[in-house]
Amino acid sequence: MFTVFDPLLITAALLVMIAGTAVRWRSWQRGRKEERSGDWKGLCGYLLSHRKIMRKDRSGIAHLLLFWGVLLPLAVIFLAQFSFVLPAKLAGALSLFLNLLGAAAIVGILFFLVRRMGKDGSPPEGVLPPAVLLLFILLSGFEAQGVRLNIVPAPLWTAPVGALFSALSPASPLFLQLLIRMHLLAVLLLVATLPFTFLRHVTAGALNVYYKSKGPRGALRPLAMEEGCLGAKTVEDLSWKQLLDAEACVSCGRCEENCPAFLSGKPLSPRKVIRTILNQMATPRGSHPLLGEAVTTEELWSCTTCMACVAHCPLYIDPLDKVVDMRRYEVLGKGAAPVEARPMLRNLELFGDVNGKSASHRTDWALNQEVPLLSGQPVEVLLWVGCSGAFHPAYRETTRAMVRILKKGQVSFAILGKEEKCCGDPARRLGEEALFLDLARENIRLFNRFSFKKIVTLCPHCFNVLKNEYPALSDNLLPGNFEVLHASQFVLELIEQQKITLKYPVRSTAAIHDPCYLGRANGVYEPLRKIAGAVPGLVLHEFQRTGESGFCCGGGGGRMWLHESGTHINTLRAKEIAQSGVGLVSTACPYCLTMLEDGLGGLELEKRPKVRDLIDIVADSLG
Amino acid sequence: MKIVVCVKQVCQVCGRSGLAPETRFLTPQDLVYRVNPYDEAAVSVAARIKGASDKTEVHLLTLGPLTAERELRRCAAMVEANDLFQIVSDADLDPRSKSDLLAQAIRNIGPDLVLCGKESIDTRHGQVGAFLAHSLGLPFVASIKELDISAEGKARVERSAGRGLREILESTLPAVFSVDMGAQALLLPSLEQKKRADRLVVRTLAFEEGAKPRTKRVGLHPPRPRPKKIAAPDSRLPAFERIAQLLSAGRVEKKGVVLNGTVESQVDGLLAFLKEHSLFNARNVPGGE
Repeated sequence: MFTVFDPLLITAALLVMIAGTAVRWRSWQRGRKEERSGDWKGLCGYLLSHRKIMRKDRSGIAHLLLFWGVLLPLAVIFLAQFSFVLPAKLAGALSLFLNLLGAAAIVGILFFLVRRMGKDGSPPEGVLPPAVLLLFILLSGFEAQGVRLNIVPAPLWTAPVGALFSALSPASPLFLQLLIRMHLLAVLLLVATLPFTFLRHVTAGALNVYYKSKGPRGALRPLAMEEGCLGAKTVEDLSWKQLLDAEACVSCGRCEENCPAFLSGKPLSPRKVIRTILNQMATPRGSHPLLGEAVTTEELWSCTTCMACVAHCPLYIDPLDKVVDMRRYEVLGKGAAPVEARPMLRNLELFGDVNGKSASHRTDWALNQEVPLLSGQPVEVLLWVGCSGAFHPAYRETTRAMVRILKKGQVSFAILGKEEKCCGDPARRLGEEALFLDLARENIRLFNRFSFKKIVTLCPHCFNVLKNEYPALSDNLLPGNFEVLHASQFVLELIEQQKITLKYPVRSTAAIHDPCYLGRANGVYEPLRKIAGAVPGLVLHEFQRTGESGFCCGGGGGRMWLHESGTHINTLRAKEIAQSGVGLVSTACPYCLTMLEDGLGGLELEKRPKVRDLIDIVADSLG
Repeated sequence: MKIVVCVKQVCQVCGRSGLAPETRFLTPQDLVYRVNPYDEAAVSVAARIKGASDKTEVHLLTLGPLTAERELRRCAAMVEANDLFQIVSDADLDPRSKSDLLAQAIRNIGPDLVLCGKESIDTRHGQVGAFLAHSLGLPFVASIKELDISAEGKARVERSAGRGLREILESTLPAVFSVDMGAQALLLPSLEQKKRADRLVVRTLAFEEGAKPRTKRVGLHPPRPRPKKIAAPDSRLPAFERIAQLLSAGRVEKKGVVLNGTVESQVDGLLAFLKEHSLFNARNVPGGE
């Protein structure tokens, strides 16, 4: 069947593929240096379980069918090149197996074609040709089998799908030859074009999973300011891993489907950010256009850094760190932070808090509360109050509630008082890395002066920064002998150790709104639910979008201080809350509390659900 | 075009901490050393003019010891200042003598435009700009919000004349304008600008003291502690102690407890309180124990 030209053709296709892969390889290898270690185990587990892809059931199953439906027949065809003879029964079973796998692959590819076409009739660029080619390969394979069955009959059970095709096919050896040639040519075309279409995710995606980040999801990547990097001006300012992220993208759109900015009609689409980077990677070295020209500032400042895109990407792509790097360049490189956010950043510079109230008033909430101040005496818990806990009129009540809980549990605790500074989260998320470093270093210096075993924070943003980002600073001088806990984790410990008892019933139907920086960033979901379960009288429901798919309140990433155009994200969430019919929304974040309160207030409902911090609820129920 | 912006370093007092009445209720954390925000607004105006023409030079001029050098350099970064001048003087000066010293320095620089804040947040005299214009013999407009330089080399300034009136004035140059806050967006310098400003050498100037101060501060009374939401002072204490409590800005040691939480917990809390203070005896209540 083979002609003398076939080896030549196969070699040519392989050469084109190798050359293409080398070009693509160079395009993402030109990024900045970054230390990464690979994870074979993780990659194998990922491929076998398809867990991350299966998060969306139908697409996941379709991918699973396609994956095994292509990979196993390929393996068998490869093995078949070595002449060996199988017993007829075994060969028949193998044929049946391959037949079914091929059919599964057809189902998978058809599903993807319909899904990609069905959205708005125009699939993302470059998706259609390889998909059609793959479908053609599968169909021509079965058609060839059908024709062959007409010429050389075989038992029906060994090739049921082929038999279906044979019913409509002629018994022509010439036609069979033609089909086989076309099948081969299509395969070679697919192989040759592999690096140039989205199918390169076969290699780039696998590599991306292999090199996936092992650190906490909530930690932003440090900026190499000492190397003169001020964020992402062009794609060359991104690291090779960030470029590999773009290379691996298949434009499936899961990031968009979960992005609160995109869903509320903002110009931002995480997919577009990644596709823009991918397009710019194709331009010759040294001539990269500015990223800022392709991704507008409106897009950049629309991001709430909620990490929904990161959590839902099946290939571990992180659009968020690119957005933050571009923000960093806007702020550090151009001094062009959004005008509305500048007073807040200036307040941080001058006074060390987001409200500009200054250190003088940082302990006003503790008046008459007998809150111990950290001194030379070692304590078990350092209660990190945070700017919201110290200054936000409503959240100060939560801080006082926390103090009541700690006192009731007879915990040895203290606060830093006036010396505490903002943790730096709003500055860092808005791209003001230099200011973040100043604040972080001052706080770390402070930690070194005292002795404590745990830091307990009320705000998930402070929690994330203290837990994940301070230890990752290049000149980290943290004492390192303490753990950072969110208030909910610590209160759960107190409940489980029976140091506090929840006695008084809080009669309400409640649901948990998962704060992004507690849930998606740090995986703290269960403590909130366990605490709510321990409060007598509280009947717990779940929102439709909850846990890993929880919807952002719209206040993170510095968005608390920025204007919002169009539909507000908190209004979207408030509508969901109103529809769910719960009487109480329990959250654990000052931003969520404010945003949801505002959102629900704006709906002008007859019976507005209450929004409360879980700590307040626990304090109410405290016996 | 050459612009001189006068920038004053001030100590912003953010509040009384109430820790120690003998230190007038202030602790170091209550003091923030910064550049007068009105002067920062003047720097923003200069930065906008500089942004419109490359040939503009901006020189910053400050008087007295460098108490807020970091903030001063931040101002230099905002406007990419060509020079940072410091007039060395430790004397306790009144606005008139300050402007005399500033005028001597400005004459040496020879600018086309002199900008300063309309007042400072520490002394709030608001006189330096006017005295400066007087000493230099230049036209003066106070509290400007906008400034444009026309092609003919004239300045058009906009100022708020109160009651919502916006006054537009035209002035010949050189001139002295004092700047009001509110019209300019805050400028955040880029890291590169900050680095350049950090490398700037502060050029010190020393002058013979000019006119002797003709006014002198003879007293300064700190404001009374502002009323705060506080629990009542403990009535068991003597009057002196109670007044001391009030003066320490509300840090009252009396343990007032506000009962919040569920109704049941509030009732239990009340009962516990009454029992603790022997105000309630269950045996006296019909149906009690």
